[in-house]
Amino acid sequence: MQNLIASTSQTSRLALASPAYIDDSSIWHHISDALHQSLYRVLTLLIAVLPGILAFFVALAIFTLCGMLISWLLRRCLSWIKFDLRLARMSGDGWAPASPPTEIVARASFWICVLLGLIIGVSAFDASYATGIALPISLLPYVTHAVGAVFLLIAGILIARFLARSVLISGVNAQLQYARFLSLGVKWLVLVLTAAMVLDHLEVGGKIVELAFGILFGGIVLTLALAVGLGSRDLVSRSLESHVERAGERGPVAQNAPSSSEQIRHF
Amino acid sequence: MTTENSTSAETSTIDQTTADLLVVGAATPPGRFDAVLTNLAEAFPVESVVVAAQDQLAAHAPANLRIISAPQSSVAWMLKPADFVNAYEIGREQQVRAILMLGSEAHSLKPQALRELADAPLSRSIDLAIPHYTLPPHAGLINSAILYPLTRALFATRTRLPLTIDLGLSMRMAERLASVGKRFAAANQVDSLLWPVNEATVAGFAVDEVEVGTRDVPQPSDADINPILALVTGSLFADIEAKAAFWQRPRRLPPARRQLAETARADGTADLPRMVEAFRLANSNLQEIWSLVLPPNSLLALKRISVLDAAVFRMPDNLWARIIFDFVIAYRLRTINRGHLLGALIPLYLAWVASHLNVTASGTSSERHIEAVSAAFEADKPYLVARWRWPDRFGS
Repeated sequence: MQNLIASTSQTSRLALASPAYIDDSSIWHHISDALHQSLYRVLTLLIAVLPGILAFFVALAIFTLCGMLISWLLRRCLSWIKFDLRLARMSGDGWAPASPPTEIVARASFWICVLLGLIIGVSAFDASYATGIALPISLLPYVTHAVGAVFLLIAGILIARFLARSVLISGVNAQLQYARFLSLGVKWLVLVLTAAMVLDHLEVGGKIVELAFGILFGGIVLTLALAVGLGSRDLVSRSLESHVERAGERGPVAQNAPSSSEQIRHF
Repeated sequence: MTTENSTSAETSTIDQTTADLLVVGAATPPGRFDAVLTNLAEAFPVESVVVAAQDQLAAHAPANLRIISAPQSSVAWMLKPADFVNAYEIGREQQVRAILMLGSEAHSLKPQALRELADAPLSRSIDLAIPHYTLPPHAGLINSAILYPLTRALFATRTRLPLTIDLGLSMRMAERLASVGKRFAAANQVDSLLWPVNEATVAGFAVDEVEVGTRDVPQPSDADINPILALVTGSLFADIEAKAAFWQRPRRLPPARRQLAETARADGTADLPRMVEAFRLANSNLQEIWSLVLPPNSLLALKRISVLDAAVFRMPDNLWARIIFDFVIAYRLRTINRGHLLGALIPLYLAWVASHLNVTASGTSSERHIEAVSAAFEADKPYLVARWRWPDRFGS
């Protein structure tokens, strides 16, 4: 910085002495100095952050190796004591996961270790980062929020798919012609809700997201209410009537009264 | 009825410490329970029989029956795990040689039927006696469509009603069922279903079927097919999964001992268009879910039959067998949520029912068609075994 000030004052003096003549080599010299100083600042910052990154990867690698070791040991031990067989005897036939319990325990232990390594790595990075040169942006808290947002998004997508399938199957089994639309509606409602939550979590958009979501959600609900209340009045009444008729047909079956449909008994 | 026996349930009419047979009945209204006792007294005039009943129901007992107090039994349409546990515990206390379990509406069973059911474990060294009811033509369709063919193909048994409510049990069979019942109770699965035929077959016990004639079969309180089908098929699929090591080995089916019953023709086609329509609706909406479970050939075949008119609607037997096997595989692999999987089976089952109604309406005997379906299941068993072992092979 002192160099820069010195060179600047020297240039000013030269300029005062000979105002009609500008030395090209001096300008290039100044630009080169500025670039060097910028590069120096970036390298200094990188050097300050590098130990943190290194600590993060070392912690992750060590804990991954530990996880592999623990997982291997658990797998061997549980196989040796016939854990799967014992658990099957204890729990009966009700709990039947896709993978054997030993495999689940081994995998869980491995991923717990990896997660632990991630947490410790991030802590180490945070510690070294805090002692280094302060950056103008708060990167780490934002990364944490981003991870939370990713989890929210995954959970939202899974819930949306589960609910959509539930509604679709129930609707089809209830013989609703609009089962698919109902299913799609539920799916997109959950997805819109998830998107709003993710954006809110990332602190993107601020009040605009809340407002847009409120309008969208309220609009959908109002539309459905109006559709059912006004447009689909006849449809709903017909659906209810047929439901009552079907219930009326089923009633005598249970009470052993003869009817045409009573001759079919599923059980 | 004797007046000496009308004081208390604890009062026994015959002073005995041991008995030949224990009869355990489901909770029944007093009038009907009296009819059951009368039938039992007629069926077992000389044997020492203990009847386990609830206190308030044991007011009027015939002289040759000893009534003892029993825990509250289930009033459901199916026997529960606790019923098997209680029956075995009482049987062991009373040191009986066999147990006769009777479900709801047991008053409709004739004395001869009761006698036959009890004689199998008492005199013929049979461990499990299963009744064969004479049912109306279109009754027990879940059994005919799924339970019977699947049990027959996998466990090599010709028991027509694998899930029944009346049973004759030897003590070792009762003990085995009680141990299974205890496991369910320990896992807090009190409403689970037990599969006595499968248990007996796996244990190598002797199983026999007894003709008992007509019976009022209790129906589930909820007339909706959806939860019943999901409960029954889900339970059978889980049992098949638990016994995979047994049924994967090839077994020879014992020869048929019964003549095929020529059931009276009945018009059940009133609901047929509704069932076919339900299948069509599902075919156009559930492709996304079915494609996760069924191979392309089956999907194509379903698409072809979906355009058939209701009057000529048919589902080929081999297609139905393949569909059920694929659902068993998907249940095991948890391809999709199990509740969703069993829900997606319902329209296919309705399609089979519609096809069955058309087949029987065309003059083919109901029993003959069910035998043909069962034969298709047996023929396609290698496919199930292959996919069970190598699930990734999603071939034709």
